[in-house]
Amino acid sequence: MWLWYSWQSAAVVNDDGDVLDIEFNNARFSVHAAKDRLQLVANGHMPPEAVVLSERFPDAKPTAHGSDELPDFDLPQPTDNQIEIADQAALLLAKEGVAVSAADPNRRLEHLLRASEELRTLHLTMEARLIEWVGLFLPSARFDSNRSQVASQLRDVDSLSEFAALLDVEDAYEQPSEPEWKALHDWAEMVSNQGRQLDRLEHAIRLSAQNHLPSISMLVGPLLAARLCVEAHGRSRLARLPSGTVQVLGAEKAFFSHLRSGTAPPKHGHIFMHPWISRSPRWVRGKIARMLASKISIAARIDAFEGTPLTKEDVDQVEARVEAIRKEFSKPPRR
Amino acid sequence: MAKNRRMRPLSDSVLMEGRNVWTVNANPGVAVRGESLRKFRGVEHRRWDPNRSKLGAGILRTRNNPSDLLPRPGSTVLYLGAGHGTTVSHLHDHLCGTSNRHRGRLVAVDLAPRCLRDLTHLAEARKGLVPVLGDARKFDAWGVLIPSRVDWLFQDVAQAGQVEIFLSAVRRFLSKDGIGLLSLKAASERHQDGGDADIFAAAIEQLSDEVELIEHINLTGFEDQHALFVIRRR
Repeated sequence: MWLWYSWQSAAVVNDDGDVLDIEFNNARFSVHAAKDRLQLVANGHMPPEAVVLSERFPDAKPTAHGSDELPDFDLPQPTDNQIEIADQAALLLAKEGVAVSAADPNRRLEHLLRASEELRTLHLTMEARLIEWVGLFLPSARFDSNRSQVASQLRDVDSLSEFAALLDVEDAYEQPSEPEWKALHDWAEMVSNQGRQLDRLEHAIRLSAQNHLPSISMLVGPLLAARLCVEAHGRSRLARLPSGTVQVLGAEKAFFSHLRSGTAPPKHGHIFMHPWISRSPRWVRGKIARMLASKISIAARIDAFEGTPLTKEDVDQVEARVEAIRKEFSKPPRR
Repeated sequence: MAKNRRMRPLSDSVLMEGRNVWTVNANPGVAVRGESLRKFRGVEHRRWDPNRSKLGAGILRTRNNPSDLLPRPGSTVLYLGAGHGTTVSHLHDHLCGTSNRHRGRLVAVDLAPRCLRDLTHLAEARKGLVPVLGDARKFDAWGVLIPSRVDWLFQDVAQAGQVEIFLSAVRRFLSKDGIGLLSLKAASERHQDGGDADIFAAAIEQLSDEVELIEHINLTGFEDQHALFVIRRR
């Protein structure tokens, strides 16, 4: 015996397709009422009509409309007005679902991280241009040690001569024209603003990652945690990836070249950014990367299931393992 | 300019002009995705780009009558994997028309909120289009919007097990003798052994077990590694 239900009606049907009882609500629903009912059914609950029937026929198996388990029977059809209202309600429900999707931290983290990547690339290019530009006029100036300050220093002066005096170098032999100086000054202002914007973006990424990925953030820092999460297309997918994949996440080019043409496999992807790997001798990086990736996988699973996050002590243990590996393989392997 | 080209109407609102397909724009003046708009006999048409729509490509490639691929205007149809709504918009032109003068219903399901964002905007301008944010496999969640079986069903979901999803959708929602179209992406079935041809052959076998396979349309050139299967429910 089946308890068939739709969003506004329900029926009890036996295995031969005979309708034993029926509750049909032929009311004119408001769009909002219909939306609530559609949502109810979508979440796997029964509408009031079906609840009434399930009390009358406790043995009937509740089954939503459309199930292929149901025998064929004459379905009670909704009225034209009800179909129209349901369509409007479906649109409302879809809009609501779209609006709610902005709550997904994975999506938000992705925009933050990609924005910071794009801005960083732009910033570095523009900063390089700025330094070349100023260097053309002030050939005796050397910017090697203070590249990142050039933009803000230049922004705060009113002429190139003033800048030369600030740097304590010979003034320009050829001065830029007034509009040229303005353009150069604007450029410097933009570059220095980008520096601040980048800091703000990274601050936002840190906060978001510490919230969304507390364990991974504790283990390898929030920026790397965010990057791994975005590259894996979300926290729950990161938790499902094998740690071997986590290890080479971000090294896709090398990895697929390995699969295709048998070049050496990559030992690390984005996790190379972590000083445990990048500051270790070349010959232990692979071992540490493998160990660290497995710990990140565990941390990702803790985060995905919202368990108790890793603590400083847990991370200290991992660091001890890193030290142990470094010590055990302190000499490069003999060829 | 188009005088020497062969004009062939496929329906009230779908026109084939040489190797181009055009649909009467149900939302005049607006191109959904930058496609060309052109007037034929004073009525604005939108070009159905076969490179962006697998149904559009199927209409050009089929060896049968292309109008057999389209549903009856004014009917209710189900579209699984609606994406950003390119195909859906042309289907709407045909099925519903301006202010839904044919009184059709096009239930379009997609899982991605990003796609639904575009679809809801489309639905606001096009009456008769019903966007649903949901998993194409979870019929229980949105099946109530299809109160009676439909005569036409289209599926374009790029995920593993496309044929199984399609067959269960056919079982639940397609009427007897109804037409179902499955756009199969071979790259989504990589868990199976063999190349694209093997994957398509396996799909043909699986489909033929349960439904009548009318045509297998190869979409190479428009959409590589894709095929469109046209079936009729027994």
